[in-house]
Amino acid sequence: MTADDNADLHQSSPEPSRLLPILNQPATRRTALKAAGAALGLAAFGKAVSPLWSIPENVSVDEFLQQHYKELSDTDKQKVFARLESETQQKLGVEITISDPPPIPGVRYGYAINLSKCNGNGACMEACNKENNHHRGVQQSYIRVLELPKGTMDMEAGNTTYDHTVPQDDKYYMPVQCQQCDNPPCVTVCPVEATWKEEDGIVVVDYNWCIGCRYCEAACPYHARRFNWEEPEIPSDEINPDQGYLSNRVRPQGTMEKCHFCLHRTREGRLPACLEACPTGARVFGDLNDPESNINWVLQNKRVFVLKEELGTQPSFFYFFDS
Amino acid sequence: MSTASDHYPTLDDAAHPIRSYPKFLWWCLGQATNGGLLFYLWMFVLTAIALVGANAWSVQVAEGMIVTNMTDHVSWGLYIANFTFMVGVAAGGVMMVIPAYLYHDKKMHDVVVIGEMLAIAAILMCLLFVLVDLGRPERFWHLIPGIGRFNWPMSMLTWDVIVLNGYLLLNLHICGYLLYMQFLGRRPNQAWYLPFVWVSIFWAISIHTVTAFLYCGLGGRPFWNTALLAPRFLASAFVAGPAFILILFSCIHRAAGVKIDDGPKRLLINIIRVTALVNLLMVISEVFTEFYTGGGHTASARYLFLGLHGHNALVPWIWTAVAFDVLSTGLFLSPLVFRYSKVLIAACAMAFVGAWIEKGMGLIVPGFIPSTLHEIVEYTPSLTEWKVSAGIWAVGLMTLTILLKMWITVFSTRPSLSHESPASDQPA
Amino acid sequence: MICLAIACDDSASPETETKNASKASANETGEQPAPLLATGESQNPATRFAVSIRKPLGPPKVSTGLQDMHGNLVLAACSTCHTTRPPNHQNKLAKDLDEFHSEMQFSHGTISCLSCHNERDYDALKLADGSRVEYADVMLLCAQCHGPQMTAYQHGAHGGMTGYWDLARGPQIKNNCIDCHDPHAPKFPSMQPTFKPQDRFLDPPRTDH
Repeated sequence: MTADDNADLHQSSPEPSRLLPILNQPATRRTALKAAGAALGLAAFGKAVSPLWSIPENVSVDEFLQQHYKELSDTDKQKVFARLESETQQKLGVEITISDPPPIPGVRYGYAINLSKCNGNGACMEACNKENNHHRGVQQSYIRVLELPKGTMDMEAGNTTYDHTVPQDDKYYMPVQCQQCDNPPCVTVCPVEATWKEEDGIVVVDYNWCIGCRYCEAACPYHARRFNWEEPEIPSDEINPDQGYLSNRVRPQGTMEKCHFCLHRTREGRLPACLEACPTGARVFGDLNDPESNINWVLQNKRVFVLKEELGTQPSFFYFFDS
Repeated sequence: MSTASDHYPTLDDAAHPIRSYPKFLWWCLGQATNGGLLFYLWMFVLTAIALVGANAWSVQVAEGMIVTNMTDHVSWGLYIANFTFMVGVAAGGVMMVIPAYLYHDKKMHDVVVIGEMLAIAAILMCLLFVLVDLGRPERFWHLIPGIGRFNWPMSMLTWDVIVLNGYLLLNLHICGYLLYMQFLGRRPNQAWYLPFVWVSIFWAISIHTVTAFLYCGLGGRPFWNTALLAPRFLASAFVAGPAFILILFSCIHRAAGVKIDDGPKRLLINIIRVTALVNLLMVISEVFTEFYTGGGHTASARYLFLGLHGHNALVPWIWTAVAFDVLSTGLFLSPLVFRYSKVLIAACAMAFVGAWIEKGMGLIVPGFIPSTLHEIVEYTPSLTEWKVSAGIWAVGLMTLTILLKMWITVFSTRPSLSHESPASDQPA
Repeated sequence: MICLAIACDDSASPETETKNASKASANETGEQPAPLLATGESQNPATRFAVSIRKPLGPPKVSTGLQDMHGNLVLAACSTCHTTRPPNHQNKLAKDLDEFHSEMQFSHGTISCLSCHNERDYDALKLADGSRVEYADVMLLCAQCHGPQMTAYQHGAHGGMTGYWDLARGPQIKNNCIDCHDPHAPKFPSMQPTFKPQDRFLDPPRTDH
């Protein structure tokens, strides 16, 4: 459609008095003015969104085009891991290795916490922060410890910001992290299948597939999910170089993350970092499918409960008290 | 049947420059961007606001969502609040569609396209609000079935993507087709639009129902986990939508000199009379259930209405909303709204703002407070969030302005076919 | 502290295992009797790694308060004094003691020094039946009163550990009772939390409710 067509079609001009003088012009010129205005508008828009030009530095084309984890062939994965390793090398100057241990066939993980033992000292939170290359600026961690008054299980009476010597006589302490539900609401709601449950019961996130809508964070009844509100900052000398693709590699900005039972450790048979760090020995970890495992001994011999059982999430995470 | 005028060669005439739908749209757009000082001033201000919003969003994408005041405790805020509300406004337009097409209300038929255009602008805003809420907007392609991984039918968000985009396409088609036929001076072929209209009626209900399901399906958030959420959404949508349309009528009259018939106005007021009462009834049911029962599940409601453990940021907001709801309902029920246009506008504005608070900050934020571990972290939108939201509102209003001007252009060049309505003055 | 690796005996299942540790006698090699250390993990015995328990080196040494020419503290073995001084059965509390131990906090139920220490032989401990038990095998001594804790310990539900949950893939190292509990005042000590997530907009720390 050309300006001439416009001129042909243009109906009786509006009364001059109601137009800007500059616009009280033949149609061709008005079209030119409009084009100029549009060009100005576009230029202003380009200027307005100029902060976006920093993105190509942060997001490589390969990353942008990367397929979902489950679509990647072994060759693709090796390429991706190599890319991530070199990116970390460039960004932080640290040699890291990215592994991707598969679930151990026949294993289903369970975790239990002895609430009679836990004294709320928070060593587990700290260990998680260091092991999992968490954002240091906000002391991020997958675990939150609630201090609750004895005589109630109502979380509303609890608080996480206590800052006194522990344990207090009239309090007990309840660490909460991802419960690795068998019926995980977070997995159900994810619109792009960026989070899913693996064979061994661990719910993982593909940080390179997540679009950052935070629906899973709204869906989780245990406050177990965390969002990377900004680029995580970790001093180079504090980076844990033993990284898993689906677990503790440094997460990209704008994506979700969560506890993954330290799968880069546990799938190699090792204990999770929070368990090793617990000075009170309140944590029990093991294979639910092994009738002789520590975790099954706890389930058989202690009176165990799970959090918010009425929601039907079927956690693999248990709590018990020494009677 | 054609009522071609002298300067309007019909389509059969080869001299006619507009021989295709795209050309018609282009011409229409050209006409719609002609206007007076007021129009250009209006568009300039909106453009400026939109650019500020675009800039704020770019900063947010580059630096991360840390520039918002959302946290892991309150992980959705102003964006999703606006999104939820705008879905309601989009669905509210259906309150004109039903009488126009189902009950063959002739006068409503002439202005029904306003409701449909409002739906287009509102859905556009919804999509933008979702986009700006994403942590990684460049990965939106992961949502596209075929090349991405679309978790349908499990995730309610995928349903929302489908119904919102579907509703947008439906309304674009209906509006475009009707305008084009009007322009050509032909009677619209019913086969080309009536099925779409009927689908769009169900679809309008579905967009808000699905959006409600997005929240009420979450067992971990007792404040949202109520079966009443979808009906409440619909009731408030059918207040806010028609209220906005009534304000639009007045704006169109003042700015463009196009007088809207009283019939549709009366009908919309009568609709609001019912829906506002139904909405109030549901609010009362919710409040009673929460406060009479008590217990941990009602903590969010207590926080919202009364404050909790000394935190009460939302209390003034929600009581303002309640006051607006009650006042506007009272006004709508009185005969004053028919007599004085100022009263009508005031009632509409109050109903609209009341619904915005109630369906926005009053619904989304308390869902997160207290958190699922019963921690209280309050939320106030950051300047960035206000800028981005204002920018999206500006884009929505610009879209709506242009669409309405297209409608006015077509109707002033070729008066309505269905009945004698005086050709309006020149568009402003 | 040293670590002594002890291969687990798979034949002893926890159910049949006797919980009365006093029945077990320490063997000459200084290894713990198998039942005490049997863990609940059952794997293919052929590929099982060891669960080892950190052990004390031997009888503790007490500071004399003196310093040698290098400025190091002079430590003395218990037997240095206790071979020459007869025990006073009246002493129940640390403050009743003349030297060395007056600073010691003693808070362990209603037992007294000689419940666990020999009257003469201070280089070893004694069980309730009077039989001698090496310092390295202190867990036997604890277990005779703290049966439920010991049972939980044997199943990994009490006491810290590091290493592998899957003994088919690697070894596990467990703490000894006295790694975490002072035998003279076994109540787990108070701690000061050092790590707190710094959420924006979260209330400052609260100590009340």
